[in-house]
Amino acid sequence: MKNEVREFRRKRELSQADLAEGLGVSRQTVIAIESGRYSPSLPLAFRIAKFFEVPVETMFDPSEEEVQ
Amino acid sequence: MNVRKHPRLLAPGAVLAIGSVMVVAVGIGHTWSDALISEIFVVVIALFDFFLAGTKGDVGAIYRRRTDERQREVIMKSSRLAMLVMFALCYGVAFILIALNKNYWQEDVIGSAGGVAFFVGMTIFGVHDEVADSSSRGIMSTEEVKPPM
Repeated sequence: MKNEVREFRRKRELSQADLAEGLGVSRQTVIAIESGRYSPSLPLAFRIAKFFEVPVETMFDPSEEEVQ
Repeated sequence: MNVRKHPRLLAPGAVLAIGSVMVVAVGIGHTWSDALISEIFVVVIALFDFFLAGTKGDVGAIYRRRTDERQREVIMKSSRLAMLVMFALCYGVAFILIALNKNYWQEDVIGSAGGVAFFVGMTIFGVHDEVADSSSRGIMSTEEVKPPM
């Protein structure tokens, strides 16, 4: 699943460690989400969207195969 | 010392506790010098676990039991791999013992217990039909879901 986490984090000038601390997850998990290797659960996805104060669909963009 | 306050001690503490019981068994069944050698191995493994629990990555978090959702998924996948390897080894050894006309009941017990535990786990952690709302159109529903017009 494509996401805008890295872009939003950079806009806020946050490090991966800062974001990880804000979300209550490990830095490795932030790295995995940003690189698209891990799709977060719904609660974490909403937490990320809330953290950046944007709708969840702005932050995550599932591919056509994933929603069918 | 309360290991819950010191999560880094959880894994090495467990290794020391279980390992020391095994060491006593070795001491009773064999010799106490054999037990001493076993204890050295247990201490080395416990020290290794203590070192791993202090590392920063996923392994350290898992050993300290301070995991997030992705790390819990890592644990599940690793556990599945470990289970498959143990099953393969268990039945592999059992087949060899049968071919050699030796006792193989230990492998039979371990393999059967693993299989039963798998089904018990599915019962405990699975979704039960009676919990599902029959009027809902979720994954448990047998109703045909029509696409919106």
